[in-house]
Amino acid sequence: MIEVSNLSKAFGKVKAADKLNFSVQAGEIFGLLGPNGAGKTTTLRILATLLKADAGSATVNGFDINKESEQVRTSIGVVNGGMGLYDRLSGSEVLYYFGKLYGMKRQAIEKRILELDELLKLGDTLTRRCGSFSSGMKQKIVIARALLHDPSIIFFDEATSGLDVMARRAVLDFVKNYPSEDRAVIYSTHVMGEVEELCDRAAIIYQGKIIAQDSTRALLGKAQASNLEQAFFTIVESSGLVPAVEASA
Amino acid sequence: MRPEMILHITRKEILSTLRDRRAIISNLLIPFLILPLVMLGLPVFLGGLFERESQTISEIAVVSLVNLPADLRQQLEAQNLAFSEVTDPFSVVESGDYQAAIAIEAGFAEALESGGKATLTLYSKRGNLRSELIASKVENAVRDYQQTIVAERLKAAGLDVAVLTPIELSAVDASSAAERASGSFGWLIPFFIVIWTLAGGQMTAIDATAGEKERGTLEVLLVSPVRRIEAVMGKFLATMLFGLTAALMAILGYVLGGTVMRRFFGAQLGDEGSEIVTLLGGSLSIDLISILLLIISSLLLAALIAALLIGITMFARSFREAQTYVAPLSFILIIPIVGLQFADFFSFSSLIYLIPILNTMLLMDEIVKGSIPLVPLLLTWGSSLGFAAIFLDFAYRSFKREDVLFRT
Ligand SMILES: Nc1ncnc2c1ncn2[C@@H]1O[C@H](COP(=O)(O)OP(=O)(O)O)[C@@H](O)[C@H]1O
Ligand SMILES: [Mg+2]
Repeated sequence: MIEVSNLSKAFGKVKAADKLNFSVQAGEIFGLLGPNGAGKTTTLRILATLLKADAGSATVNGFDINKESEQVRTSIGVVNGGMGLYDRLSGSEVLYYFGKLYGMKRQAIEKRILELDELLKLGDTLTRRCGSFSSGMKQKIVIARALLHDPSIIFFDEATSGLDVMARRAVLDFVKNYPSEDRAVIYSTHVMGEVEELCDRAAIIYQGKIIAQDSTRALLGKAQASNLEQAFFTIVESSGLVPAVEASA
Repeated sequence: MRPEMILHITRKEILSTLRDRRAIISNLLIPFLILPLVMLGLPVFLGGLFERESQTISEIAVVSLVNLPADLRQQLEAQNLAFSEVTDPFSVVESGDYQAAIAIEAGFAEALESGGKATLTLYSKRGNLRSELIASKVENAVRDYQQTIVAERLKAAGLDVAVLTPIELSAVDASSAAERASGSFGWLIPFFIVIWTLAGGQMTAIDATAGEKERGTLEVLLVSPVRRIEAVMGKFLATMLFGLTAALMAILGYVLGGTVMRRFFGAQLGDEGSEIVTLLGGSLSIDLISILLLIISSLLLAALIAALLIGITMFARSFREAQTYVAPLSFILIIPIVGLQFADFFSFSSLIYLIPILNTMLLMDEIVKGSIPLVPLLLTWGSSLGFAAIFLDFAYRSFKREDVLFRT
């Protein structure tokens, strides 16, 4: 559902994405794992057509990110940790606002909100103003908004940051159940455990480069590690790039 | 551009602003109240002050009370002045012990009696309202006293007081009825539009642009299929609407203040307040076409200001940064307005109608005075539209710039 080839993007001297190649198949949860500043958000923003790549190409749901950006945006939903809502609108007003921007009709939005209420237990987030939400309530509406137009692909970018245990668990369970034959998820995080729990396959990204890419199980096996955190360090060391901890020491 | 998307975004910005109590106060209430308060409050307050001061007995310092002729003394006392003898009139006024002082030279009364000239020195502080008010009491008394002396001297010489004014100057206002009725209306309306579109539109503009960046909602908007130009236009329209609303409220407040003033202060007035009232009462003979032209000119001017606001606030990365840019705007935009005060002294080439804001003021002034100048009209509208387009284009470009949208 996503094909990325030689995708590159630099901010001045910083290579935030350096000749990335990966693909995501229907039905899978694909992990993007890397420490802060690795280039995960940049990569997802390029795929979401918010940033222009310097070089390389990519298709999302069969649409070219440069030439068919509107179709790409219609195909995806994006959830990230830092996303805001409109403080002076209620949850359902936010959903109506975005529903219309996605070209949905009023009745379709109403119907979809009922479904999402069922799925995410939106409760009184629909009627209350977003300004009064807890971080967990906020994330529910953020996710509901990303799912509103029933996108084929969802990008999660540090989607659990700032959430309490319960809210985080709700998000993880939701992601786990989302994929089907015609759907896929890219799950980007710096938390190894989440990738281990959720992802079928993952790419480890470091200083803008993908240094390993395989099924989660294979990544563990390759590094002969019992958990992904151990595997991560083994892989980073063998890649010849200096790990951030040592570089700063 | 899809109009329904633009309007959808505009509606959301309107709703969001309407739910912000601060915005309601600054967009609707303040513009409506500020002029009536100033128009009514200031004269009442100052008038009260002056009246009190002129009725209470004020003490002034005098050097050599003995030299003061009894008649003059009576005149001074009639002005509610009392005297206290000092030696250094300058320093007592300078130090603020007295608001005013007079010095009467020795032989003052004798000099006048013998038909000669005498000197009275008046000490006061220029620029100090209270001091000047008291000094003016002295001037009034001296003037009256002087008139009686002149009259006496003329009589003694067998002449009538009328010899002093052999020519009577009679002034006639030769402006046309439309010109007279229009007063300052022509430039006052654009002035209101500039100032209040700026004031009333800025909350919406900042909230819809830099505010969205700061709160992390802009990325959400951009990841939806809405086109960036539609987002810019939607936000621009909402800004323009709130700006125009504020301008309209200010004009209403002005008319209201004018009406109240006229009713209560009637004849003493004759200022713009009453002119606008007469204007709205129908004394100004402008036809429907002129009104339409005025409305279009006003809308284009508001569009220009709103576009400028959106251009600036879209470029800013945060609320604070946006406010920093917007704050000096009203000062800068006032410059052409000040320039206009001298418009009657110059004759311009038509090119002056390319200068934004100034052109609308000149144009509207001409329209309310009864003419429809075609070339200035086209130049002005073209200029307003052109500049609005430039600012919107700038906003659109900022909206596409990665370093403006995303900073880490
Ligand atoms: N808009 C930007 N301007 C300049 N540098 C940026 C910008 N966005 C990201 N970067 C830099 O690119 C690198 C990758 O950042 P990012 O993609 O946010 O990493 P991650 O999401 O993995 O933490 C970092 O070094 C970051 O400082
Ligand atoms: Mg990130």
